[in-house]
Amino acid sequence: MRLLSEGAEAKIYLVSIFGTLLLVKKRHAKPYRASQLDIMLRKMRTKKEAHAMLVAKNAGVSVPAVYATGSDEIYMELIKGKLMRDSAFDRKIIADVGIELAKLHSAGIAHGDFTPANILLTNKGVCIIDFGLAEPNAGIEEKAIDLLLMKRSLSKEFYLLFENAYAKAYANSSAVLRRLAEIEKRGRYQARTIANV
Amino acid sequence: MLVLGIESSAHTFGVGIVKDGEVIANEKSMYSIGTHGMLPSRVAEFHAKVAKKVIGNALQKAGVKIKEIEGIGYTKGPGIGTCLQIGLLAAKTLAYRLNVPIAPVNHAVAHIEIAKHFGKLKDPIALYVSGGNSQILKLDKLSMRYRVLGETLDIGVGNMLDSFARSANLDPAWGSTVERVAKGGSYMAMPYTVKGMDFTFTGLLTYAKRQIGKARIEDLCYSLQETAYAMLCEATERALLLTKSKELCVCGGVAQSTRLKEMLAKLASLHRTKFGYAPNEFNADNGAMIAYVAEKALKSGHAEKLDACTITQKYRIENAEVYI
Repeated sequence: MRLLSEGAEAKIYLVSIFGTLLLVKKRHAKPYRASQLDIMLRKMRTKKEAHAMLVAKNAGVSVPAVYATGSDEIYMELIKGKLMRDSAFDRKIIADVGIELAKLHSAGIAHGDFTPANILLTNKGVCIIDFGLAEPNAGIEEKAIDLLLMKRSLSKEFYLLFENAYAKAYANSSAVLRRLAEIEKRGRYQARTIANV
Repeated sequence: MLVLGIESSAHTFGVGIVKDGEVIANEKSMYSIGTHGMLPSRVAEFHAKVAKKVIGNALQKAGVKIKEIEGIGYTKGPGIGTCLQIGLLAAKTLAYRLNVPIAPVNHAVAHIEIAKHFGKLKDPIALYVSGGNSQILKLDKLSMRYRVLGETLDIGVGNMLDSFARSANLDPAWGSTVERVAKGGSYMAMPYTVKGMDFTFTGLLTYAKRQIGKARIEDLCYSLQETAYAMLCEATERALLLTKSKELCVCGGVAQSTRLKEMLAKLASLHRTKFGYAPNEFNADNGAMIAYVAEKALKSGHAEKLDACTITQKYRIENAEVYI
């Protein structure tokens, strides 16, 4: 088992099982919080994440396949590719990302951290990763947040391409876009956006 | 430089005196919130009454005469308008009478800077937790302004605990009583909401209030506190890993909590991060932190014209330039 990366919530390991390379995402215990709360959070989130990935996969969204889960770990397919964040990308890729998000939202799932740091570019097209903050029974608000994060991450031109592809592929997109406009008007977010420039 | 600072953003009227970066007096008088919380007009009346006495106490404690004061600082905001007005009036009067420069100070910046001073930290992630505020911040060196990495999307953690304390008829009705009662409690599940580096407390508060009378008060206090602080810790942990910062400080009124500091110390050691904070009298609202920041502003030539000195109730920290 080799440690590949460490996030605030989980560590990702590379393991070989029967000669096949897999990824294991493991949520380790956090000694700073009450142990009952710690166990409950890790169990609940692992279950929710695996569930969201399975539902997404069944709906035809490009995500890593889940092979097995434990109370605090998920064994999943290793996808080879480069993070969109660290790559050059063209208009076709941007549109594909919009279509994948549309499929995800159509399946009732919001990703929760939908940025170029969680999108892989592979030989077979784009692949969405890290469902750690995903909501399998998402409302309009959570879906609009997915768009907001992308809007903050892309240039205006690319964002519009992404939004157009998304809107065409998702039947309920107009409600989500309306909510996005509402969220952007909220005070705290405005201040944050200004501060981030 | 000898600088006197006045803090009056909420229930505390505080006066601090700083000499060349060291605090030499920190006196305060606090409006008793009783069972009703704060009525803005009453608190302002209280501040107006105690102002002269607290200023006198601070000068006596520092062993300096009022004529020796070389600069004045005051809280410009954020805070309660009527309360800020009294501090502004006192500060302007002093600056005018003594004919010394004056500097407006952002309350949140002052909390962080004084924690950095006592915690001996250079460039930390700051968890600023008080009644009205709960934010995770980092100084952006280019703009010299604090950048909000995460914050509460509704109410501050301190107000949340105080509000629960009032509903449960705890006496005195604020967060430190919740912490005291929590000592005999055991954990029960409560709503836990972290969105990236942001968090919300109203769902948790509503749930806890509805359980009053149904569950043991010790268990409610314990679980409410553990859940709220765990949310703050998780968001802070994310900010630490995102920024790769190796320093962490906690400041603001809720930083007086022993349990919160204990949790953050464990979190910091998990990531080999240096953790620091100020003594409790400087975590609660105080004049010394205002004097401390004002001295830096004045020394770096950032005095404000007397007529231009105003208050701003919603003075966001991103809009306040920081002088080092």
